[in-house]
Amino acid sequence: MSLIEWDEKFSVGVAAVDYEHRELIGLVNETYDRLQRPDAGVTVPDFLGEIYARISAHFALEENLMRAKRYAHFDEHKADHERLLDEIRDIMDDYEDRKIFDTERLAQRLGTWFTVHFRTHDARLHRQLE
Amino acid sequence: MLESLQRAGRRAFALVENAFDAAFGPRINPFYHLGALGFFFFWIVAASGIYLFIFFETSIDGAYGSVEYLTHTQWYLGGVTRSLHRYASDAMVIVVLLHLAREFVLDRYRGVRWYAWLTGVMLLWFLYASGISGYWLVWDRLAQYIAVVTAEWFDWLPLFGESIARNFLDSATVSDRFFSLMFFMHLGIPLFLLLGMWIHIQRISRARTNPPRAIMFGTLAALTALSLVYPALSQGPADLDTVVSVVRPDWFYLTLYPLIDVWSPGAVWAVAGGGSLLLMVLPWLPRRREAAAAVVSLPNCNGCGRCFADCPYSAVIMQPRTDGLPYASQASVDPDLCTACGICAGACPTATPFRRTTELVAGIDMPLLPVRAMRQRTLDAMAPLSGTDRVLVYVCRSSSGLGALAASGVGVVTLPCVGALPPSFIDFAISRRHADGVMLVGCAAGDCYQRLGIDWVEQRLAGQRDPYLRGRVPRNRVATAWAGPRDGAELARRVAAFRAQLRDMGPYPQGGTPSASTAQSEMHNVTYRMG
Repeated sequence: MSLIEWDEKFSVGVAAVDYEHRELIGLVNETYDRLQRPDAGVTVPDFLGEIYARISAHFALEENLMRAKRYAHFDEHKADHERLLDEIRDIMDDYEDRKIFDTERLAQRLGTWFTVHFRTHDARLHRQLE
Repeated sequence: MLESLQRAGRRAFALVENAFDAAFGPRINPFYHLGALGFFFFWIVAASGIYLFIFFETSIDGAYGSVEYLTHTQWYLGGVTRSLHRYASDAMVIVVLLHLAREFVLDRYRGVRWYAWLTGVMLLWFLYASGISGYWLVWDRLAQYIAVVTAEWFDWLPLFGESIARNFLDSATVSDRFFSLMFFMHLGIPLFLLLGMWIHIQRISRARTNPPRAIMFGTLAALTALSLVYPALSQGPADLDTVVSVVRPDWFYLTLYPLIDVWSPGAVWAVAGGGSLLLMVLPWLPRRREAAAAVVSLPNCNGCGRCFADCPYSAVIMQPRTDGLPYASQASVDPDLCTACGICAGACPTATPFRRTTELVAGIDMPLLPVRAMRQRTLDAMAPLSGTDRVLVYVCRSSSGLGALAASGVGVVTLPCVGALPPSFIDFAISRRHADGVMLVGCAAGDCYQRLGIDWVEQRLAGQRDPYLRGRVPRNRVATAWAGPRDGAELARRVAAFRAQLRDMGPYPQGGTPSASTAQSEMHNVTYRMG
């Protein structure tokens, strides 16, 4: 079972951003899948690391677009990005430091964390990035 | 031979630079801003020249008198301006020659840097021509000497049908028209010089053409003081009916002039022309191959442009996507411009050691030290250490006593430049408890061998430039030491102090990491200034 399903309502209308969102959803789902296996302690940190790298690149690209278009609320949005990066790092460390971890709670945090990112895409940003 | 010359030169520069570091601190050490000082002096000369031009009379009979008026009657402004005009142009020769020598001894003239070297050597001719044509305009006895000797010098070349020296044999043949020509040369050549200076810096990004403000004010104040105490004076009016016997030449510009008489014009052409040619071909004697250029991995590159923004050599460009992925652009490296400093990889968001090691390939990576190898070396360097004062040192290969580090019981990973370190390596080493503290050791502050590495590292650590070092990383476990190439003992002391500090702090707390916000936290790492 997938943790998050891609939904057309997630689409922001920018091909590159949509593509990365789909990739990230794929990674989150795969991580969720790994969480339930016996070797989760070994594989999940790597998957989380991969999510961390991909989301970092994703934000980097988004910030680049925002700068290029002189998005008025850049600072706010950038701060949101940094907060989300801090949160995924918290999730990573929490998993790393306590190997016996409540799978459902981690999955829930991951899911929430990811959907919060969608909420940061407000209508103003979409219009500007298009 | 060349290498021992460079080694000796490096020692000589180090000696002087250490003294300046001690006196002013490395940030405003003028030796780290020689090229920028060249620009600065150019602007002083240009500005003072414009003022002098207002009062200058472009004629044989009027020139000397108008300069005398400026120097004596209007000494408080015109005289000072004239002196500034002269002393700043002398200073420009000094900083330009030092700049040339320094880039040579630091071996920053070969390989992909040939372009700046070659254009720089050609600029010397424009610089000297600008200065010498200026002395002509004063039309005093020194000017007369210069005019006659220059004419002799050029007459040696089989370029002109008749002797131009004959023009100066008597006062009847030097016309106002010829004088106007000289004036326009003194205007035109410096303009070409400026154009050349602009061309000279084309292959680097964010060229520093302004020295730090403190240096600007300091040198301007010094030049003004010199102008007041020891004003530039003319050496008596030119008189073409007499032969000039004794002059006091400006040794900065007229170094070779006495030799034209003593040796022969041909010999001086051989020295000046041959010397310039030799300097120009120096980057290929022998040619240096740079380490393999940065490589872009398209599956890991989404075209975010951070490497493009941080490359000090404009070697990374963004180009339209070629692999069909729905991104607009991708990074692309011009190997002819890449010095393999790795700063691009340090900026890449996918260059993080938290990733799956099998897939750890950065969007842009250095073949010599890919991030996967950097990760492995980090683990290898730290594996033998134990205790609560395990220090991981990332050190730039052009920096300080590597020997001093090796003997100080720390884990050492050598990088082409500290700027090549993705900040998440620091986060990784500390949060995964591979190290109790991380120390970054680079060149002297303000004198990064790869130009921008230290600036970018400081800004990344302070959360001012992407990628940020995350706020969660306890800053008292991160230290920087901008050590320069010659502070081995001092560096060892700093490492020991850092280890003692880590011992006092105890081990990094297990579980529940502090979730400090990267965007807002006060991020001050331990900074060790050397010298």
